[in-house]
Amino acid sequence: MMIRLELFGASRDFSNKDHIDLNLQNKSSVKDLRNEIIDYLKVNFKGNQEFIKVVNSSAFCSEDNQIISDNFKITKEQKIAIIPPIGGG
Amino acid sequence: MLHTKVIDTNIEKILISRAESFISSSKFGASIYFTGTVRDLNNDKIVKGITYDAHNEMVIKSFENIYKDADDKFKIKDKAIFIEHVKGYVNLGEISIIIAVACKHRDQAYLLSKYIIEEIKKKSPIWKKEHYKKDESAWLKGTPILNEKI
Repeated sequence: MMIRLELFGASRDFSNKDHIDLNLQNKSSVKDLRNEIIDYLKVNFKGNQEFIKVVNSSAFCSEDNQIISDNFKITKEQKIAIIPPIGGG
Repeated sequence: MLHTKVIDTNIEKILISRAESFISSSKFGASIYFTGTVRDLNNDKIVKGITYDAHNEMVIKSFENIYKDADDKFKIKDKAIFIEHVKGYVNLGEISIIIAVACKHRDQAYLLSKYIIEEIKKKSPIWKKEHYKKDESAWLKGTPILNEKI
């Protein structure tokens, strides 16, 4: 199941594109997605600890703009946004 | 009455005049304009400008929710609220956010203006990348978003 992870804030440094495509097993949870991103960073950025900190402190947002918990089951291919710690204004 | 927008600085400018047009009415006796601007120094570093990033749909949703929450909390019936935030590069001294509030009375306007900016800091998915001398830059650390999860 392909998940397009949309990048925002500090996570934009994870790729030259505005997204990363990740292959997850069906009915993976957000926690699984988080671990998959960390695996991606281990492979592509030698496990950059600052990047991993960003992932561990981020929330995730579904295609219909809901913040989803770590237990949320991803049941279909979709876009999910990573929401690093915020600081607008 | 609410107006919200994310302004892409590559396409248009954020303007106080638009806020004035939106909130001006003889029904209201008090108006407050809050603007956030890019400051020259942060954590002992000289700042040249800031790139703002935003999840547009979630930002608009958060502004609408903050407006509804303010309704429930303060029960101020007659009001006009204008919220715009930029996305993209902003130079030193330029505006990043406008919150304009008009109410019947000044205490209501002050209350709403402060409530809105404090809630935006906690709930609106907006990020800052500061730009310094010698082409250095860094994303600011921020705080985890406080929205309810499903």
